[in-house]
Amino acid sequence: MEKEILEQGLNLNRRKFLSRLSLGVGSAALGSLLIPDLFKGGSPSEDAIMDALPHFAPKAKRVIYLFQNGAPSQFETFDYKPLLNKNMGQELPESIRGGQRLTGMTADQKSFPLVGSYFPFQQYGESRAWISSIFPHTASVVDDICIVKSMHTEAINHDPALTFFQTGAQVGNRPSLGSWLSYGLGSENSNLPAFCVLLSRGKGNGQGLYSKLWSNGFLDATHQGVQFSNSEDPVLYLKDPKSMSRDERRKMIDQIAAINDLSFKEFNDPQISAKVQQYEMAYRMQTAVPEMTDISKEPDSVIKMYGPDCLVPGTYAANCLLARKLSESGVRFVQLYHQGWDAHGDLPNQMIGQAKDVDQASAALITDLKQRGLLDETLVIWGGEFGRTNYCQGKILPENYGRDHHPRAFSIWMAGGGVKPGIVYGETDDFGYNIVENPVHVHDFQATVLNLMGIDHERLTFKHLGRRYRLTDVSGKVIKDLIA
Amino acid sequence: MLKISKLISLLENALFAWLGLALILTLGGSGILLPNWLELVGRTHPLLLHFPIVLLLLGLIFYWIPGIRDKKEIREIGDLSFLAGINFAGLTVVAGLILAQEEYEGDALFWHQWVGIGIFVLSILIYFLRNKSFPALKPLTLVLVAGIFITGHLGANLTHGEDFLLAPIRSDKVELVAMSEAEIFRDMVQPILEAKCQSCHKEGKIKGQLRMDHLEGLKKGGKSGPFVIAADFENSLLIQRINLPGEDKKHMPPKNKPQLTDEEIEILMEWVASGASFEQKVEEADPKSELFQLASLKFNTAKTYTFDPADPDEVEDLSNFFRKVQPIYPESPALVVSYFGISAFDPASLNDFKKVKNQIVKLNLTKMPLAGVDLKFLSELSNLEELQLNFTDLDPTQIENLIPLENLRSLALSGNQLDPESLEELTKLKNLQKLYLWQSGLNDTQKENLIKALPQTKIDFGFDGKGIIYPLNPPKIELEKMLFKDSIELIISHPIKTAEIRYTLDGSEPDSISSPVFKESIWLKKTEKIKAKSFAPDWKSSPNADAVVMKSGITPTEFVLKTQPNEKYKAQGAATLFDQIKGKNDHSSGNWLGYQEEPMDLEFSINKGKAPKELALSLFYNEGAHIFPPAKIEIWTFSEGKWTSMITNTPTQSEKAREARPEVLEFELGNNPMEKIRVRISPVSKLPKWHSGAGSKGWIFIDEILLN
Repeated sequence: MEKEILEQGLNLNRRKFLSRLSLGVGSAALGSLLIPDLFKGGSPSEDAIMDALPHFAPKAKRVIYLFQNGAPSQFETFDYKPLLNKNMGQELPESIRGGQRLTGMTADQKSFPLVGSYFPFQQYGESRAWISSIFPHTASVVDDICIVKSMHTEAINHDPALTFFQTGAQVGNRPSLGSWLSYGLGSENSNLPAFCVLLSRGKGNGQGLYSKLWSNGFLDATHQGVQFSNSEDPVLYLKDPKSMSRDERRKMIDQIAAINDLSFKEFNDPQISAKVQQYEMAYRMQTAVPEMTDISKEPDSVIKMYGPDCLVPGTYAANCLLARKLSESGVRFVQLYHQGWDAHGDLPNQMIGQAKDVDQASAALITDLKQRGLLDETLVIWGGEFGRTNYCQGKILPENYGRDHHPRAFSIWMAGGGVKPGIVYGETDDFGYNIVENPVHVHDFQATVLNLMGIDHERLTFKHLGRRYRLTDVSGKVIKDLIA
Repeated sequence: MLKISKLISLLENALFAWLGLALILTLGGSGILLPNWLELVGRTHPLLLHFPIVLLLLGLIFYWIPGIRDKKEIREIGDLSFLAGINFAGLTVVAGLILAQEEYEGDALFWHQWVGIGIFVLSILIYFLRNKSFPALKPLTLVLVAGIFITGHLGANLTHGEDFLLAPIRSDKVELVAMSEAEIFRDMVQPILEAKCQSCHKEGKIKGQLRMDHLEGLKKGGKSGPFVIAADFENSLLIQRINLPGEDKKHMPPKNKPQLTDEEIEILMEWVASGASFEQKVEEADPKSELFQLASLKFNTAKTYTFDPADPDEVEDLSNFFRKVQPIYPESPALVVSYFGISAFDPASLNDFKKVKNQIVKLNLTKMPLAGVDLKFLSELSNLEELQLNFTDLDPTQIENLIPLENLRSLALSGNQLDPESLEELTKLKNLQKLYLWQSGLNDTQKENLIKALPQTKIDFGFDGKGIIYPLNPPKIELEKMLFKDSIELIISHPIKTAEIRYTLDGSEPDSISSPVFKESIWLKKTEKIKAKSFAPDWKSSPNADAVVMKSGITPTEFVLKTQPNEKYKAQGAATLFDQIKGKNDHSSGNWLGYQEEPMDLEFSINKGKAPKELALSLFYNEGAHIFPPAKIEIWTFSEGKWTSMITNTPTQSEKAREARPEVLEFELGNNPMEKIRVRISPVSKLPKWHSGAGSKGWIFIDEILLN
């Protein structure tokens, strides 16, 4: 009896199994039609993603991002608004503000008086771009740069806005732009990191910088930005210790590699071979970095171009020069941050100091890349995390006023690397408050940068926690009008 | 109430009415003049046609399922459904024939119409034969099904355009047209017409008697006039119609069809404006025109390479830590080569490129030491387009190897000294578009001649800094420490190699004539005040660099602090003061003793016969952080059992806040014998009025006491 029951069970099972099987195969086949990648291991494997890169011929091979941390005012740089001078002290019309949220710093302010630039503007170059008087060097390279006056962002405070610009999300823990490029394109020069970070600080009101801005997020740790030191040794601990020769160092690394190799054979852990690679790279950096930072081949004219400050380690000018050297040596992404643009008060005075710090060296970087024939393949970006308000924060005097944070419209510039030179893109209203033409969202900007590097921003992805992430999240369109 | 049987007979009879109407319309053809309201009936065709499809197919199921016709009730449902379907088919045929009077013609219409009528007739036949044992009945039903699908598909093609059905599965990989190949009409205008206009203006559906599916049609124009007239917006109906307001009846494309985008309108208008040519190439258009700009975004401006790719494995083998050899992008046959690592450079490695000599389009040898290296291999890189040789100490005679490179368009030679012969060679590179000659040792005449000889080339001579005079940076004084016992090495350096450094050791101002020039390191043997300055042609002299080195020859045997420093700034206690380590420029660095509440009071013993003649206090000032010069300094010496007050000093007080800085206060002790010394340093008890912390207690910080 028992046997029969069992047999019946088996039979039933077999029949059921076969019929279910056919159903299953059918639905799987249907599934594979609807989701083409169903049988390719869920999503394109990392290898497949990497093998396809770059997706097309890149215009730019490298990026130097001159991040102006703290948000320089567009009204004292590139967005000329004579109406603000004419209507100085008058109230910002509610129809223009349109309910835009305010920061805690001006939310309690009873009035929002318009304030015009203390600095006069002049038109330069073929594009007749307006540039304020405190940026004479930038004005001299205006035909090489592309000014975007219609950037807008989603965040209104520094840290989320910075994080958004660098990682495509306002919360932390996502990979930075440089990390994505390192992941996607790798380093040109295998003796230097693909992503380097240089910091400098101006005298203006500063804002914090956190290493999460150059974090690899969920990407492999090798894609993290390498922060260079502000001292004369940009990379610390590269020198051999006293009493140790380079040969001895070589022997030591070989011995360590031999031991690591034994453990690798035993455990087969890829982390072990990664470690061996890192020792090797550090050893090669011991020669590559001094070769790269060597200033003895730089003619005097280079120092004059960047300004003598470039000889003082840790200044913006020195970082610009170092950025050029790194980029020339094949570093994919050099990220500079210059702090001190957060002028809530005493703006004209602070702007003069900040402009003095960055104007000459930024322009010099363009000229320097150009005279080496590198500007065509190097993308240079200059800009902050958002703009500043057209109304005054605090006391208002023609020579002393402040501006709060403004995410709806601000200006940046780009140069080289396949960007159309000598154009001004986008326009704001007469109050400089809202964009009236060709808005560029931060994700659009990021998509455009990736496009210039030969990458389709929708195809550079990484699967993490069950979801495919990308720099531009779920939006972003390439601004083709910016591309030469 | 209407009985089922009555309904059935009514529907059966109606069939013949439809048949009759269809016959009239078919035979009458376009000879019949239809009243307007009938046109309305005609236009219900696309709505009606769905009923017969569903009802007929439903009815047919009842012929196929075995045994289903055995039950009368069920059979009747099937028959009724089929009968209703035939009626709708008739109605649809009639409406369709009326609609066809409008502007449809051609093959597609012919077949759609006749297969449609055929379905109607065939289904009548099947209906009446249904209960006879007619052997061909089942095959006939299959024919009917096929007919329904065929005519449905043909009808959809008429409305939605051909290819409508298959478009989604057809490969959407459009071959990107190369800019150099693109034609304005073929590659820019025609695709728009195909996508947005042709569904109504083509063979089979020639609305307004305008055909857009061949050139003759476009050239001929339509019922209302010419399609386009070169550079004439007024009379080009295309431009007129697409620019009418959307609600206008004559606006094209019609309201319910996909509209033209702004870019498409712009392309069409620019095409007409530029002459409405059917042959012109994009590259023949004015590069500044909007059309050209639009085209450059649309077409592949990146160069496409037609040469064969190299063996991928070989390419991979060529890359190492100091040399990257990569295709431009994975599918491209063109290779880019970059060298890195000056000390690792091996000129022999340049010969490795023989296997890929036809594939290299870009080569970067910047900063590689090429002095005396034979660059013959360059002349074989037939597809080389970009060559970077900046700062390579290139032998100028090697430039002749570039002459055969016909594709070379960008050459960077910055930082190499060129001679007249090599300049002569450069003028032979007529295809060059960009030439970089910064820091190449050329004089103005040579530059001018080169510009004249290469009119097509953009030459960048770079920034020479002439006429710009900046002050030099101060030189850098390197001392291992500020305090020493016997002697110390002094090194002064400047990052600009050509700068001359002059110095003094007596605290006087260095000048460019009489002060000694610093060449190599000097050993200092006593306390010195160093001042150094740098000078260079075309630069202003630098500000001074200052440093003090202090000899501290005597160390006390014992020391004790009678008052304790502040809890936060106690360093290593009294030992800190004699450890010969100079504190960093930061009072919280842990090298400094800080006092605020009470004076520092220190007593220490000296070896007999080693009485110091000088005593110096190394202090730190930073008014912003409330650290001021001491209010009072008192020094006593102990000799033969009694204390003698030697010094009572009140240092000059600060009148404004200055940057944080170290300071040394020196005191002469004279030639007196002594066994012990006591030093008492009092902080300011009340900060001055100008200070933000006015009235509160000041601080003193001290890191060292020097005895000589």
